[in-house]
Amino acid sequence: MPVKQKEPLIMHPRPSSIVAALYTLRDLDTDVVILHGPPGCSFKHARLLEEDGMRVVTTSLDETGFVFGGHDALVEVLEKVIKRFNPKRIGIVGTCASMIIGEELHEAVMDVQPDVPVIEVEVHAGYRDNTKGVIIALESALACGIISEVEFERQKSLLKEATMVEKRHGAASKEYLEPSRGDLKYKVAERLIELIKQGKKGINILNAKKETAFMFADINLAVAQVAQNLGNGPNIINMANLDVNLGLPKNRRNAHEVKDDLEKAGMEIHHIIGGLDEYPIAGNTASQIIGEKYADYDFAVITGVPHALPMDNLKNMELFSITNGPRQVVPLKEMGHKHVVVEIDLHPKTLGVNHIVESEFGATLREMVKDA
Amino acid sequence: MPKTIAIYGKGGIGKSSTASNVAAACADEGYRVTIIGCDPKSDSSITLLRGRRIPTIMDLMREGEDIKEDDIVFTGYKGVKCVEIGGPEPGIGCAGRGIIVAIALLRKISTAIEDTDLVIYDVPGDIVCGGFVAPVKKGLVKEAYVLTSGEYMPLYAANNICKGLSRLEMTLNGVICNSRGADNEEKIVSEFAKEIGSQLLAFIPKDVLVQTCEREGYSVIEKAPDSAIAGVYRKLAKAIMADKDAKIAVPLDDKRLRELTRI
Repeated sequence: MPVKQKEPLIMHPRPSSIVAALYTLRDLDTDVVILHGPPGCSFKHARLLEEDGMRVVTTSLDETGFVFGGHDALVEVLEKVIKRFNPKRIGIVGTCASMIIGEELHEAVMDVQPDVPVIEVEVHAGYRDNTKGVIIALESALACGIISEVEFERQKSLLKEATMVEKRHGAASKEYLEPSRGDLKYKVAERLIELIKQGKKGINILNAKKETAFMFADINLAVAQVAQNLGNGPNIINMANLDVNLGLPKNRRNAHEVKDDLEKAGMEIHHIIGGLDEYPIAGNTASQIIGEKYADYDFAVITGVPHALPMDNLKNMELFSITNGPRQVVPLKEMGHKHVVVEIDLHPKTLGVNHIVESEFGATLREMVKDA
Repeated sequence: MPKTIAIYGKGGIGKSSTASNVAAACADEGYRVTIIGCDPKSDSSITLLRGRRIPTIMDLMREGEDIKEDDIVFTGYKGVKCVEIGGPEPGIGCAGRGIIVAIALLRKISTAIEDTDLVIYDVPGDIVCGGFVAPVKKGLVKEAYVLTSGEYMPLYAANNICKGLSRLEMTLNGVICNSRGADNEEKIVSEFAKEIGSQLLAFIPKDVLVQTCEREGYSVIEKAPDSAIAGVYRKLAKAIMADKDAKIAVPLDDKRLRELTRI
């Protein structure tokens, strides 16, 4: 009997639940994470997370480990981690290989009995939605008493929304999405500057996922600065999901850091539309404010997760979207976003930083106004 | 808290027959019983359901259904709750992973393993990989029993199972002899039980009635309640439900095992 798919197949590579669990542990200020599995599993992200100060080590399971089990290796690595890093908080994350062979993360923890909390995440990459990795990590954090029931429920509903956003208009919306570099940056910048010069009114929205705000905010800042330089600063309304009182510890800190940088650079944020982890729902708040106050505006610049913004109150505006997903270009165009710019490889550049990082599109905008 | 047990033993030695007759005997005594078939063959509960084959958890998972408790828990003889985990066709995929996934699902959606007096996990004869011990590792099985005959190979398997259980620091609650008609069988198995630090709970004589009833889709408890063999199963059921000492078994070496079967 053939195996039936619950939902339509998606062929392009999708984000990994294991990696999602790793990022969640980082947001929970975990010091060291042990990946229980093969040495190469999630290498790129494990490496990148070190930029954010979280150590990631592996039990390096090989063929012998797959056949005979990896319990002893996990005990050994856990003991070594405690000795070497003296961590205050440890994470253990499963992989496809260790979960298929039935490894019990908890057994190793019972054997070693560390005197600091250990967040055990029994996860593999075989989940359709990578948000599952976040939920499993948070469930374990809740069981350890690291997050509250209230925060857990809040996160869970946000993740559900995030999954829906991806299914509606994101990278999970089609069986296959062609990657694209989007529109040429200087062409898009030219048009945007033209509109600002004409004195058109624009909404400048940052709706970024967590630390990606460090670079996306640079674009919003550039838009505000360009308008200012062209004498039309007051025509731009700025919105950002930079509520400093919402989210896991790291997200709050980052919101504070980005907001601080923007304000120091002289940009006024007219509306805070949510926290850095509220990118799936902050767009609704933005949409509501636009409907009430700025329905007659001419254009909108949306950075971060532009596809999370409902189109109802935007459809008469000329839309400029900046994403970091090459597979987000096609869905955004289909939604009606006229200009779509991709900041390629944005995420890695926003790890290990606590200030705004220059973006290509932001730099292009600034340079073109300087030349003019 | 229900009593949660698993019966281990060499493949074909009669685990499912024993499990279903014990389930039926306990149900007769008024206990609420749940039986979880963990073998991909999914034949643990068939004699409690008058020969009916129920859909397995893995069947439904393969169909991509959202599984609810009603879809997988079926009521058999005198209210015994029956669940079959099922698995892939032989030689395809990973049955062990199937058990892990099914156990996780059961814990999430089912009250049948909590709101009851006795849960019997009918596990496959060979614990070939990590998945097959998931019920033990996840803490769902608290008592282990080993079923064997007095012949060398089944005893060898039983001894190996004891090795596995002691590695998991799981205690052994008793040995059951399912006779195949070997000489001195009761004495051999009784001695084996004693030497590994356990006890012989029951000697089930070879009786064709068990097979006859099974062929028609019944346990002997249901179809031949007044038979001598039904009495044996009732006695075993009482022994299982009774509190008793359980120690971690000390497996024998192969030399001693061979000697033992020569008595």
